[in-house]
Amino acid sequence: MRGYLFKRLAQIVITFFLFLSAIFFLVDAQPGDYGNVFYSNPRLTPEQRQQLKANLGLDQPTWVRYTKWMSSFLQGDLGISFSNYPRPVIDVIAERAPRTIVLFMSATVVSFYFGFMAGKLLAWNRGGLVEYASTIGGVSLYTVFTPWFALIMIWVFAFRLGWFPIGKFIEPTAWIGAPTEVNDVFIRLIFTALIASVLLFTLLVSVGRLNTNQRRPATWIGMAVIAAGALIYWLNTGLGVYALDILWHLTLPIITLALISFAGSMLLTRNSMLETLREDYVLAARAKGISEKAIRDRHAARNAMLPVVTSFVFSLAFAIDGGVITETVFSWPGMGRTLLTAANAEDIPMVLGALVFTGTLALTAHLVADILYAYLDPRIRYA
Amino acid sequence: MTEPLLQVENLTMHYTTRAGELSAVDNVSFSLKKGEALGLVGESGCGKTSVALTVLKLLPENGYIKEGKIIVNGKDIVPYTEQEMRKVRWGEISMVFQAAMNALNPVYRVGDQIIEALEEHQPQMTNKEMKQKVTELFELVGLESALMDRFPHEFSGGMRQRAVIAMALSCGPDMIIADEPTTALDVIVQDSLLKEMREFQDQLGMAMIYISHDVGVIAEVSDRVGVMYAGRLAEMGTAEEIFHDPIHPYTMALMSSFPSTVGEKTDLVLLPGEPPDLLNPPTGCRFHPRCPYATDVCKEEQPEFKEHSPGHLAACWHPRGEQS
Amino acid sequence: MAETTITGSDLVKPDSLWRIRLRLSWQAFKKNAALFAENPVGLIGFAIILIFMLMAVAHPILINTVWDPVIYDPVTGIDITIPFHPSPPSPTHLLGTDSFGRDVLSQLMFSTASEFALGAVAAIVTVLIATTIGAVAAYYGGIIDTIFMRFADLVVMTPFVTLLIVLSTLFEVGMIELAIIIGLLGGFGSTTIIIKSQALTVKVRTYIEAARIAGGGDARIIFRHIIPNLLPLSFLYMMFTVTSAIFSEAVLSFFGLLNIRMSWGLMIFTTQFSGYLLDFEKWWLIYPASVAITAMCAAFYLVGRGIDEIINPRLRRR
Repeated sequence: MRGYLFKRLAQIVITFFLFLSAIFFLVDAQPGDYGNVFYSNPRLTPEQRQQLKANLGLDQPTWVRYTKWMSSFLQGDLGISFSNYPRPVIDVIAERAPRTIVLFMSATVVSFYFGFMAGKLLAWNRGGLVEYASTIGGVSLYTVFTPWFALIMIWVFAFRLGWFPIGKFIEPTAWIGAPTEVNDVFIRLIFTALIASVLLFTLLVSVGRLNTNQRRPATWIGMAVIAAGALIYWLNTGLGVYALDILWHLTLPIITLALISFAGSMLLTRNSMLETLREDYVLAARAKGISEKAIRDRHAARNAMLPVVTSFVFSLAFAIDGGVITETVFSWPGMGRTLLTAANAEDIPMVLGALVFTGTLALTAHLVADILYAYLDPRIRYA
Repeated sequence: MTEPLLQVENLTMHYTTRAGELSAVDNVSFSLKKGEALGLVGESGCGKTSVALTVLKLLPENGYIKEGKIIVNGKDIVPYTEQEMRKVRWGEISMVFQAAMNALNPVYRVGDQIIEALEEHQPQMTNKEMKQKVTELFELVGLESALMDRFPHEFSGGMRQRAVIAMALSCGPDMIIADEPTTALDVIVQDSLLKEMREFQDQLGMAMIYISHDVGVIAEVSDRVGVMYAGRLAEMGTAEEIFHDPIHPYTMALMSSFPSTVGEKTDLVLLPGEPPDLLNPPTGCRFHPRCPYATDVCKEEQPEFKEHSPGHLAACWHPRGEQS
Repeated sequence: MAETTITGSDLVKPDSLWRIRLRLSWQAFKKNAALFAENPVGLIGFAIILIFMLMAVAHPILINTVWDPVIYDPVTGIDITIPFHPSPPSPTHLLGTDSFGRDVLSQLMFSTASEFALGAVAAIVTVLIATTIGAVAAYYGGIIDTIFMRFADLVVMTPFVTLLIVLSTLFEVGMIELAIIIGLLGGFGSTTIIIKSQALTVKVRTYIEAARIAGGGDARIIFRHIIPNLLPLSFLYMMFTVTSAIFSEAVLSFFGLLNIRMSWGLMIFTTQFSGYLLDFEKWWLIYPASVAITAMCAAFYLVGRGIDEIINPRLRRR
């Protein structure tokens, strides 16, 4: 197990450096160089232009710039963003990355949970109209033109029904006179969620040791205690209203994203489950006289989960892909929109920074997937 | 004990396929007494495994029992619901599967997979008693009890097969169906495992059905032998009768292709032609296209599965190749 | 062994090898087509593709017969008889006009052909590269395999749309360039990994061993024995590539990043550009193009799933 993870870790570090080099040279290969935005000013004299070039370090050969960029990256310096001047790129990322991560993490967890359940039932009760209807419905949702779907969601739930705001991260008028910054409340929210999930996980693991008939009540009591703790904390700080404002803005994008990726995980689970249902151990479980529900959940679905979990983690890595689209439609100030604006403004340091963020996210996801996979599949754990 | 443990009467099982009805088991009857070992032998695809799956009603969704009775301990289980079948499965009849490697779920510890069956059938047992039971079972089949906390992939082929046998024994069934129990193993392991299985059977007084394409395996463990061809029973009798005095030409061919050295894996090479297509089986006796003694009557009429001497049955118009 | 009677005609005119091969593949095709036809999922996808093909074919005919190019040209046309654009659907403009007075239906139909071309080019590039690399990597293994697979990991790791956005802002990207980029990314990335794992299972089959013993060279074994067995899977991934190509084009055009004259994504960009994106009363500015993108992506995906159920025995019902 340890050897396996160590090997994967080494591979991932190497891949990360290859990725960094690849994006550097890719951006470097563009016509002209990243000073373009500045040189285009017609009032500059050729000397000034040269001076500017030297200041930006662009008069040096590629490999010198490459080593410079690499070494400053290793020191945690990604340069200054042109379009957010004079904020350092790393600062912009620190502000916006949590928003994207929270949005996609919640949407992905929700969609995979329901997608897994739906896919499981779909494979189990095969045939008939339900199968075709759900396949076609699922595929339509899976291939829907995302911006359009997001717009429909906004139209129905924000315009027509008025249940949710039309977009944006907060309602600025509600924050006039707020005792603290938006990000402060947001970070506290994240920590609440994190602590609650860790507690929930511990609860679920420890409940497994109890007898069958004690499990259910123990779970409910434990969850109630966690929820009460969170509630008391937010009531005490007096920031509850502001937190609710953020959550209210968060809901519709999460539902939209969850619906889009729900279909994908449902279809994947269905296929994976259809394959495990043909395995001999499922037949053996039936021969053992185990209840149908236990066969479905403990044997077929448990094994069908493996590829689904991998895809779950990878889809987190691709958050920025969906982020560009969803964040644009919902005017959500996250990394996806930052990347798009930076690319349009030719803010190269910011673009590179966003790509570095993406790569880091992707690789972390790969590592998490490896660990999870090893946890779920003993064939890897004890190899 | 006059009443047989298992009585199968005129069992016919069909698969509905894209190309039509496939009669995988056709009018098969046999019975099994307490403590008896019955061997079913035949080429692959002749319906041996289908018989096993039908007896436990573990058919895939396109398979169904067309007619016949399966009487287990005096009760016909054909009309049983899934819910009622769950008690029969493993409690009364358990099974050792063809590929033990695949019959164990790779993500659970081997011991837990046995406990799972115990939880279902003996819910009054405490966790501790179940562990104790698994330890006993492991010792019985010759595995170290510490292995119960290991995962299937850590076991060798022979160990896995032993674990699967331990699992089959766990709920104290009246009979075990062993479907090609040793085919995936090498010859030496195969031999010792078969001997041990025969010992458990005598020790625990269980009935067994051994299913194999390998005449050598069947010869080693069975009291009585049924020879299957194309979904039907061709012949049935004591092992002695089948091996030394076969009636059906198919059995005769099978025996002549069976080498004197026991245990070696053999193929049936002496028969011309191939096993028939069960979607479109030959008329009359299904063996007639390959039978050296076939006459017109064989092509037209299905021979009755009748007794030729007490306990020795065969379905043939020309027993022992005689032309009447 | 049954006796075979050798007739005269057999001796006189033996069938040439390619003819036998052709007949065998025709039989296989017929069998698979029959299997495909049994699956409503694949058939629905196929029907949608046919409708789009009709639209693509109909546009040049209409523009040369009933549609006056001055009014109906998808890019430069304008209907000056209507005082205010965008105008709602009417008998002359079945799907209305956009904010520049251009006919929406004409734009929709005009774009279909280029979407097909985009999908086809991307799919062919992907599959050519992925099949070759997959077969070669699986056959030789070792260092060649490692290099291509590590590279594939790198490509797979990179978010697709994000990379395309960056590329299209840094470089001038049109329809053909986009198709090739998507093809390359697919061909060196995920599709290769899948096809290679399939090639590994082909490689160990006995007829490959037999071909090697018979003295077949590496190239001959790869191209005559391994690759033909990968083609069904390659064909499946062609369908999925078409879906992702059309989707990517739509997204990039929606952001106004592509250097093209007209496409479904660009139609929605125009809507956004003119400020009608959230004006749902003017549904004809968003819905036709969006539905077309969704339907086309779904159609190829459904066909892909239909094929998947044929070539992947584990998904088959019986």
